[in-house]
Amino acid sequence: MSGAARGEEVARGAAARFAHPAEAEFARLLDFYGVRWEYEPRVFVLEREAEGRPTRCFAPDFYLPDQDLYIELTTLSARLTYRKTRKVRRLQALYPEVRIKLFDRRDLRSLLLKYDRSLGPVRG
Amino acid sequence: MTAPPAGVGEVVFTAAQIRGRVARLARRISQDYAGRELRLVTVLKGGIFFVADLARRLEVPVTLDFLAIAGYGSESAVGAVRLTKDLDESITGRHVLIVEDVVDTGLTLGYIHADLSRRGPASLRVCILLDRPHRRLVDLPIDYTGFEVPDRFVVGYGLDWRQRYRQLPYVAALAPEELEE
Repeated sequence: MSGAARGEEVARGAAARFAHPAEAEFARLLDFYGVRWEYEPRVFVLEREAEGRPTRCFAPDFYLPDQDLYIELTTLSARLTYRKTRKVRRLQALYPEVRIKLFDRRDLRSLLLKYDRSLGPVRG
Repeated sequence: MTAPPAGVGEVVFTAAQIRGRVARLARRISQDYAGRELRLVTVLKGGIFFVADLARRLEVPVTLDFLAIAGYGSESAVGAVRLTKDLDESITGRHVLIVEDVVDTGLTLGYIHADLSRRGPASLRVCILLDRPHRRLVDLPIDYTGFEVPDRFVVGYGLDWRQRYRQLPYVAALAPEELEE
């Protein structure tokens, strides 16, 4: 799923496929400013068992191709965000060429406050 | 300094700190643009106090122009970002400095920068008072920065919350209870 190229309609139509309303809101924001995005386009393997089968993977929520930047959103409380933070750090260690930013609940709230929007229900 | 009004919390940057930083920015800009005329372009309404103070400190000839945009979430926003007030004069062949109050994601500034770039200015640079780089989604060259701002919702010196508090001479955190309205 990707957006911006076809405008807001993409985000609206696909909203039901987002894991959380905050992700749909984020997609609408990117569409509004014409920033191209892809939703969970790549799965990164973080751990493998001895035979090489992946045992731990991570698919960041958004990829912004023009910025070559992955974005992971979390609406979890600060206490529960550390697992996501660990995943992001692990990804950065294994794939140093990958640019990724974690937008936590506080970042999202600040971002949406700027536009006078609410974050939606808390997950987790 | 008079006490902050109800709804406003701790002062993050005092009026004196802002004055000092604006003067420093103006000195740098004046050196960089020595011998040239500069067109300052500001986005309404947040940048008006900053550009007014900055312009008065500059030692090079300046002209002013203003843009307004319908940003995400605004009443006049429909589908996509757009200008609601364009520049009054052409910037083709001019040395242009975009003067903005605050940049975090870079979405608004990215749109403005791209729009002005297409108009053929002789040069195009960016001067911001407040920067929140950790939330940047769109990378942009920022040529002049006043302060890095902590991760708090701030108001004053042009920055608003629902159009209020722009007139404060300092930058202050919005009181948490104001956000819970």
